[in-house]
Amino acid sequence: MQNAIEVRNLGKAYRALGVGVPTLYKTISRIIQRRPIERFWALRDVSFDIPRGATVGVIGPNGSGKSSLLGLIAGTVTPSHGAVKTEGRISSLLELGAGFHPELSGRENAILNASILGIPREDVIRRMDHIIEFAGLKDFIDMPVKHYSSGMYVRLGFAVAVEINPDILLVDEVLAVGDIAFQTKCLERVRDLQKKGKTLLLVSHALDTVEQFCDDALLILEGRLAERGPPRDVIFSYLKTYMLRIGKLHVEEYGTRQVTIDRIVVRNHRDEETIQFESGTAMHIEVHYRANQRIENPIFGFSIKSADGVHVFGSNTQIENYPIPAIERSGIVRIAVDPLTIKAGNFFLSFAIHSPDHKTQYHRLEDWLAFSVVDTTAREGLVHLNNQWQWNHERQD
Amino acid sequence: MSLVSTALAYRELLANLVIRDLKSRYRGSALGLLWTVLTPLFMALIYIFFLRLLMGRGVRIRHEEIIIGVFAWQFTIQAIQSGMNCITGNANLVKKIYFPRIIIPLSVNLSALINYLLMLVVQLGLVAVILHTGGSHLSAGTFFVPLLIVYHFMFNLSLALLTAAANVYFRDTQHFVGLFISAWFFVSPVMYSLSLLDALTGDKAWLRELYMLNPLTLIITAYRALQIPGEVFPWSIGAVIGWCWPVVIFAGALIFYQRTQRYFADWL
Repeated sequence: MQNAIEVRNLGKAYRALGVGVPTLYKTISRIIQRRPIERFWALRDVSFDIPRGATVGVIGPNGSGKSSLLGLIAGTVTPSHGAVKTEGRISSLLELGAGFHPELSGRENAILNASILGIPREDVIRRMDHIIEFAGLKDFIDMPVKHYSSGMYVRLGFAVAVEINPDILLVDEVLAVGDIAFQTKCLERVRDLQKKGKTLLLVSHALDTVEQFCDDALLILEGRLAERGPPRDVIFSYLKTYMLRIGKLHVEEYGTRQVTIDRIVVRNHRDEETIQFESGTAMHIEVHYRANQRIENPIFGFSIKSADGVHVFGSNTQIENYPIPAIERSGIVRIAVDPLTIKAGNFFLSFAIHSPDHKTQYHRLEDWLAFSVVDTTAREGLVHLNNQWQWNHERQD
Repeated sequence: MSLVSTALAYRELLANLVIRDLKSRYRGSALGLLWTVLTPLFMALIYIFFLRLLMGRGVRIRHEEIIIGVFAWQFTIQAIQSGMNCITGNANLVKKIYFPRIIIPLSVNLSALINYLLMLVVQLGLVAVILHTGGSHLSAGTFFVPLLIVYHFMFNLSLALLTAAANVYFRDTQHFVGLFISAWFFVSPVMYSLSLLDALTGDKAWLRELYMLNPLTLIITAYRALQIPGEVFPWSIGAVIGWCWPVVIFAGALIFYQRTQRYFADWL
């Protein structure tokens, strides 16, 4: 089998239980009243193959069925319909520190956790120093884990989990733990596994991680496989569908088309094409246009809207005093936003080419391009404002 | 047998879970492992004290019988109480990581078994001392106690499997089991011996046969018969059926557990 994972018509239905856990009373009353069991499909008609050695990201909003999918592949959940076929030893990082007992020491829990994950005991003991170092718990390893901070707890869980040497590794959101330094270590470890030719399935809300690491992405929406393809495209369409659904977005395209915007390329400060940006770095936008006739004094404009519909910024060549006398045939208009002072979140770019009096809209692309910004500083808010501080005080002499 | 082969294939995990259970049980308490023995010991002392007080001089109380009864009772109770909650209490494990689900109740029962073996050393010592003061000593049948323990373990495991699975689907199980145990305590010869039964049943032989259907009656009585010289196991038709039906229950419990475990993750 060339594929590490084969999923065929997979479906999982849960009983719609209402509130609380089942009780004997509820069951008996249901049987007496002959109410059918209400079923809710968490996942339906999902089919895909994952070739051996591939790293595939699974994205989608909360409650879309991503975790059910991973559970089904891991074997903890029994499918209601269809089948999953996997080849090779499968391990999951779905739960860090699974089975940790609060009264036991970090070392004891590491050994226990390893055996739950299927790592041979001698491997763990041999690698214990490495695990302790990776988790950064040198002075705390023989302390009961109930005294650990949540960060320490998760770090130990991860350090043990990455010792697994599986053929297929399922990862659910666990890369988003710990501080930046630990996250970097985790991602390095993921790269290692990739290099060793392991098959990785990665569920994440960190879209930049998916874009960076995955060869392929699956978009799960309302329990169905909505899209599969290169991560960039899938992330883009996810952001777009999702924003559209929550009603904050009106993707549309209109205009006389005397000039058309053929393509828009967005690059980061390293000149890489991306839709993920780091706050405070540069964003370079290229608008590739094609004029079907000669246009005098065209105005190029762009604007940015946040995911919750707030108009963050907008400007054009008229406002910025950069007159373009006339255009013919095709060309590129470049916009450098440097530094990008938006702080964090998902945003949408709109573009327009219009006449100086706004009366003729040649081509407008509303909410056309999604991008996201991450901020690595502790500052809060939507945009970065330069702030200088000064302290004046009376002398006490 | 699939149970044995699964246990062997996952022996490392099984061992680690047992170690976790044993280590964590008394960690943080000053007397630690000593509680394993202290609990049944004090229970036995309390029963002996009150039985003497209530029953007065008329009924002969054999201390060694009560001690054997309480220690054996503790084994079953520990197995059921930890077994019943072993799946619901490990929800994150069951939902997130795949390994044969039978490993969990099996590990809980094995740790109860190890506990019981520790308890048994003290129990045998106590009984030997009591017998010695009466000018007697442990019966040769004591060598067959291990066989009885295997049977007792199988019986406990069936109960743990049934209650663990039932508790996932109906949380009423734990309340029901609590009540059941209270009643069960009195219909099993824990703090009395079978001789008391003769006075109660009188000439109603069928009532006595019914009483013998309780596997725990047989198990406790057999422990006594094996250890105390002069005590004879009261064989009867009821006793034979009582010995046999737990084997059927065990097979049923295994099948029931394996069928239901597929959907544990959905219900937790």
